[in-house]
Amino acid sequence: MSNTVLELKNVSKTFGKRKVIDNLSLEVKEGEIFGFLGPNGSGKTTTIKMILKLIDNDEGTIKVNGYDTEKQFEKAMECIGAIVENPDMYKYMSGIDNLKLHARIRNVSKQRIDEVLKLVELDNRSKEKVGKYSLGMKQRLGLAITLLHKPKVLILDEPTNGLDPAGIKKLRDILKEISHKDGVAVFVSSHILSEMQLMCDRVAVIDNGKIVKIEEISSEEEEKTEVLDVKVKNIEKAQKILKEKFNLESKLKQNNIEITVETEKVPEIIKELALADVEIKAVIPKEHTLEEIFFDATKGENFENGKKGGVKGE
Amino acid sequence: MSKIWKLFVNENIKTWKKLSTKILLIVILLALIGTLGFVKLMQNINSSSSNSSTEEALLSQTEKEIENINEALRNDNLDESTREEYMQQLERCELALEYNVVIYSDYWKAQIVNEIIQAKQLGIDTTELDTMLRKNDFSKYIDFERQKVEQELKNGEISQTEYDDKIFVLNLKEKCKIGESVDDPYWKTQCINQIENLQKSLRTGVDTRTSKALSPEDKQEYEDNIKIYQYRLENDFPELSYSENYRQIFELLAPSMVVAMIAITAMIIAGGAISTEVSTGSIKFWALTPNKRWKILTAKILSLFFYIIVITLIMVVLTIICSNMFFTEQGTEYIYVQDGVLKTIPNIIYMFEMYFAKIIPVVIFALFALMLSVLIRNTAVSVSFSVAIYIGNGIVMSIINQLIQKDWIRFVPFNNLNIADKIFVNADNPLAIMGSSFATSTSLQFSLAVLAVCAVLMLITTYDSFNHRDII
Repeated sequence: MSNTVLELKNVSKTFGKRKVIDNLSLEVKEGEIFGFLGPNGSGKTTTIKMILKLIDNDEGTIKVNGYDTEKQFEKAMECIGAIVENPDMYKYMSGIDNLKLHARIRNVSKQRIDEVLKLVELDNRSKEKVGKYSLGMKQRLGLAITLLHKPKVLILDEPTNGLDPAGIKKLRDILKEISHKDGVAVFVSSHILSEMQLMCDRVAVIDNGKIVKIEEISSEEEEKTEVLDVKVKNIEKAQKILKEKFNLESKLKQNNIEITVETEKVPEIIKELALADVEIKAVIPKEHTLEEIFFDATKGENFENGKKGGVKGE
Repeated sequence: MSKIWKLFVNENIKTWKKLSTKILLIVILLALIGTLGFVKLMQNINSSSSNSSTEEALLSQTEKEIENINEALRNDNLDESTREEYMQQLERCELALEYNVVIYSDYWKAQIVNEIIQAKQLGIDTTELDTMLRKNDFSKYIDFERQKVEQELKNGEISQTEYDDKIFVLNLKEKCKIGESVDDPYWKTQCINQIENLQKSLRTGVDTRTSKALSPEDKQEYEDNIKIYQYRLENDFPELSYSENYRQIFELLAPSMVVAMIAITAMIIAGGAISTEVSTGSIKFWALTPNKRWKILTAKILSLFFYIIVITLIMVVLTIICSNMFFTEQGTEYIYVQDGVLKTIPNIIYMFEMYFAKIIPVVIFALFALMLSVLIRNTAVSVSFSVAIYIGNGIVMSIINQLIQKDWIRFVPFNNLNIADKIFVNADNPLAIMGSSFATSTSLQFSLAVLAVCAVLMLITTYDSFNHRDII
């Protein structure tokens, strides 16, 4: 699980006088979902296009599965499946015909086409013209195309655009399955924090063409500590109890007590607080959100999609 | 190689599944059907209005002329010489009526009537001529003419070559029975006149019409032309300008119309080949497959050529079927002389060759549209610009050629597009005469070389741009 399959080293790109990508380096390992987070215009799509050689990078090297994309273009591209910007198919052809075009190029069997169609749940509408598909269906068909040849690296540019919540969940499940089960490295770009948080194992934050932070996102099972927002009527009493019984430093934020505790201690704390009759209004587990990381890193500039807080679960 | 093949198959699937391709096919078909309908309409209009002059009508015309002359003779104020002329004409008409002969043609009997009148004036016995007429003996008339020519040779009035030429013409007349009947088509006498003119030009070394001295190439061409006229007479195969052969008119018009439509459709496909995929974004899917960009472009170019060739083949076959189904006349054949030997290209093969000769410039224009498509990445601009040039180049170039009368202008590609007119030099094509004066001034090889250089330059530009420019 530790082989590096996608490697960018000191990659730079200049459009005119503007340096769009500045000395960017990152590594994506087998079986991980790597999020690529950044505000609009920060260089996410440009980076992806450089990986795919749609745009030539001015400096640096890009390696896919050990193959240099410049010198061994065809070998490198055999390992990649990708959707850039929108999944643009031929609207006058049916979904399955579009798939067949790609299957021919990638030497993929008919059986695999059916398999992939079933995976993205398009098998019963594959004979309809793509022009009649909804955006979500097109996204799914695009995903099917990229999965056809079982790529080692899957690159998706804003894959949740136009998907409904159920579709997003489905996409997440598919991505988690192929990455954790089949060991595919998934490289997802987005500017929507909550999605990234739910989907990714690791997130890189990019701003103005530079990587400002790479953050591991721990999954729930591994999480040992939790941030709780405790709303009580008797704040002072509650703070006192927490200090005395659990030796917890509590911060006061907007009349809420914020505490950081080990997950296993949570029931005990609630029990004690309830017995002490501090009149608990609510105990809310606070997400370990990307938002803070993101705003810290990018200083909140240009960020439009300021969705507050993490929405956990569906 | 197999990768290019697979991309090529994909390109064809994409092209043929498009609704617009099907519409374009219908447009090409309409061009053929429209031409067919137009020619058929012409045929109907002309056949209903043409009234062939029968022998009786012509004879009654002679009677009328006698009346007219008599009327004129009653006038006492006529001077001697006109009176003489009238009298001669009257005599001729009366004689003609006596023998029941129409005098207004190259009809052989009319010739003999003239001979009889001459003989009577000279006081020579006319019984031989008389029996010739009464027995309706055409070969005797030819013999008579032959004797006359021989006599002239003996008297030293004509040279040996002139004698040979005249005998040649007489033999031809005898063989093809030219002038034997009143209704003999006009083109046959035209052919004989042409042969006589060419012979005279060759004898004197000076063109009879333009009075220019003949170069050795001209002489060769004139001799070849005589052979072609001879072939036409012997095989009853008139030139298009003189015949009412509507099948040949159709076979002349159809390739021009259909190829023009194929050209426009090919430019529409080529002009959208890259730019449409760039604007819809689907090119990205192909650019990131394990195929280098030049392979993708090669597949596109090959599929473009494939489209042009397939459509042309279909249209040749359809044209041949149409002309066989709707016309009963003899089809166009191409007659040419190579190294002094006359050769013909039969109708079906000629149609194929004609179409494909006309398609060569179309390929050049399709490559041009493709180049624009890659460079500008705008379908509307590349299609409309190349179609405009395709349609307008003839007129614009003819003006430019008039203004700039320099030698280098023959290197301009637009002056080398009429490949078909250069391959089929002798094809009687009234449309070719309207073409530019450069049609014949440069050789076929020269034109092909210019177009090839042009194509290579466009391909280099196209590949270079497509390989190195970013796909955004």
